[in-house]
Amino acid sequence: MLTVKNLRKEYTNTVAIDNISFSLQPGKIFGLIGPNGAGKTTTIRVILNIIKPTSGEVLFDGKLMDRSIQNVTGYLPEERGLYKKSSVLDVIVYLASLKNVSSHNATQLAIEWLKKLDILDSKNKKIEELSKGNQQKIQFITSVIHDPKILILDEPFTGFDPINQQLIKETILSLANAGKIIVLSTHQMDFAEKLCNDIFLINKGKEVCSGNLSEIKRRYGTQSIKIEYQGDATFLNQNKDIAHLDMYQNYAEVQLHDSINPSLFLRSIVDKIEIKHFSIIEPTLNKIFIDAIKN
Amino acid sequence: MNKFLAIAKWEFMEKIKSKAMIISFFLTPLIILGFSILPSVFVEKDDASTQAIGIIDNTQKYFPSLTEKLSEFKLEDKQPRYVIINLFKQNEQADSLKAEANRNVVKKKIEGYIFLSENGKKEIVFEYRSLSLGNFNDYRRFEDCFNKIRRVQEFKKANIDTALVAHLLNNVEMNTVKIDEKGKESSADFKSQYFSSFIFIMVLFMVIMISGGMLVRSLVEEKSNRLIEIIVSSCRPDDILKGKILGLSGLTLSQIVVWALIGTAFAGQGIVMFASFQNLFLLFVYFILGFVLYTAIFVGVGSIVTTEQEAQQITGYLSMITISPIVIMIPAMQNPDSLLIRVFSYIPLTTPGVMILRLNSAPISTIEILATLLELILSIYLVIKVSSKIFRIGILSYGKMPNLKELFAWLREKE
Repeated sequence: MLTVKNLRKEYTNTVAIDNISFSLQPGKIFGLIGPNGAGKTTTIRVILNIIKPTSGEVLFDGKLMDRSIQNVTGYLPEERGLYKKSSVLDVIVYLASLKNVSSHNATQLAIEWLKKLDILDSKNKKIEELSKGNQQKIQFITSVIHDPKILILDEPFTGFDPINQQLIKETILSLANAGKIIVLSTHQMDFAEKLCNDIFLINKGKEVCSGNLSEIKRRYGTQSIKIEYQGDATFLNQNKDIAHLDMYQNYAEVQLHDSINPSLFLRSIVDKIEIKHFSIIEPTLNKIFIDAIKN
Repeated sequence: MNKFLAIAKWEFMEKIKSKAMIISFFLTPLIILGFSILPSVFVEKDDASTQAIGIIDNTQKYFPSLTEKLSEFKLEDKQPRYVIINLFKQNEQADSLKAEANRNVVKKKIEGYIFLSENGKKEIVFEYRSLSLGNFNDYRRFEDCFNKIRRVQEFKKANIDTALVAHLLNNVEMNTVKIDEKGKESSADFKSQYFSSFIFIMVLFMVIMISGGMLVRSLVEEKSNRLIEIIVSSCRPDDILKGKILGLSGLTLSQIVVWALIGTAFAGQGIVMFASFQNLFLLFVYFILGFVLYTAIFVGVGSIVTTEQEAQQITGYLSMITISPIVIMIPAMQNPDSLLIRVFSYIPLTTPGVMILRLNSAPISTIEILATLLELILSIYLVIKVSSKIFRIGILSYGKMPNLKELFAWLREKE
């Protein structure tokens, strides 16, 4: 288990992360979600021991994360890049050697991974000769080749076409099934929604909400209603029970105030329009994200 | 394998395979040889064709002897070097003679002409006039011949034995013999000393330029593509620093070995120069220490730059400091024990260069050698300490370069 406790990182004029805590279980994918500049990368860097926190600590299986744990972490940074002039195999073997994998083992593992990601024919090419997508695959391989216990993926899907996104998604899921601790940092809510068990939403260095994704959805979702109707529903604009309204032609998404019971709300409108469909909906992660950040 | 060794191996292997490196392996010795040998070759090489030289001898005393003397100079193919034409005319004014001669020079009928006259106080006017005044060898010959002839004539007038005069007029050249501390003699002269030290410092300068530049560029690359984050998350910044320095030093050593081989294979003159080094081992020690010191500085400084342009600027400035000993080269050769030179021997940045100069020109006491070596090693230790502190933070900061205040804040930060 990876535990982050009261982490804080200050720079000269700014507080990059402010007292955040969470814990990650093996076999589960943890979504670290937030807008640009929220503090995601700083959090990742502290976890990886790239920078020291101002205060707080990161524990892995109860032990402080220090240099000795460096060999069991894998990292795919958001901004990608490899040694352009070097050959694919050389780069993979070198970066694996920095994780204490012997070059013999690294070569074998590299070939397995290249096969798995369908780019074995590029193994002797120079990095710069590969397409952007294939360079990303190489970078992905370098983050997993040493079979890390903790895998941190920062925007792993950008730059891939849908087919390769699917391939990477399946690979990440299989790594989770193999019991890895996986941190997925992303803006792409649909992926986070499909992949993550737990999420941590961060904004301006502070926690906005966190926990099990389905619980969060339930928490945010009880007051969200979808109505399909016929008739003039403009009166909803003046309805005091409604906190937020998205109205379309014959369809509306309604967010009720916390104190309002959805059944009572239904009763109050059923005489004014013809209701075709009424349901309490789970909000998308995207909506939770936008709402949470706006508030 | 230790991680810093893995980094060193990578730095070494990837760089040695690069095209730039292969070029530098072979091109740099050529450039150095070119700089050090070609100028003297060109200066000594004369025009290979006979030149028509006019003489206007208003004194009417020197023309016959001067013609005779100058005709003795031959080209390589035994043809006369100079064909002498008498431009003096009995009843004409000097000015009109000169005007006509000038026209002939312009029309390229003659290469140039010598003008001789005496004024009222028996002072001699001796001029060479030509379109191009570049050939140093020609003037020297004209001057030598004229002065010899004049002296011979004057001595003759005073009734002094001409054979004796001729004998006395031959210059005796002084040879220099250098004695080392064991009493052994060698015939190294000032010129070869100067050139050999010069070459050594040039080589030091070149390798620092090349490898320092490479180091900074590779850091900028790793920073800009964020590879550095992967590396830092895998090993300690100190290992990265050590690995890079070790890899580059290995690269430089092999470069020097290749250069030495090329030097001995192609340049006979090069062998003579290297043979004039007496403390070859010590020279290499200073060389390597100097290289490591500068590389350590480059790593620290290189980690704070973020663009290729900044990298180039900084590489340039740092390399200038390396060659600064060239400024005090002549005084150091002339007076290796002067206070100024001694002071420079103890300034870490100039220690390697100055000591290379001093070692090659006079024996230096063992204490001083030990002291400078100690000082150099100590400064390398300190520079690596400071550099690694800057490096640790610098490699992870992007955007604008830090100012001095920020740098000091980095230095105070605890690990």
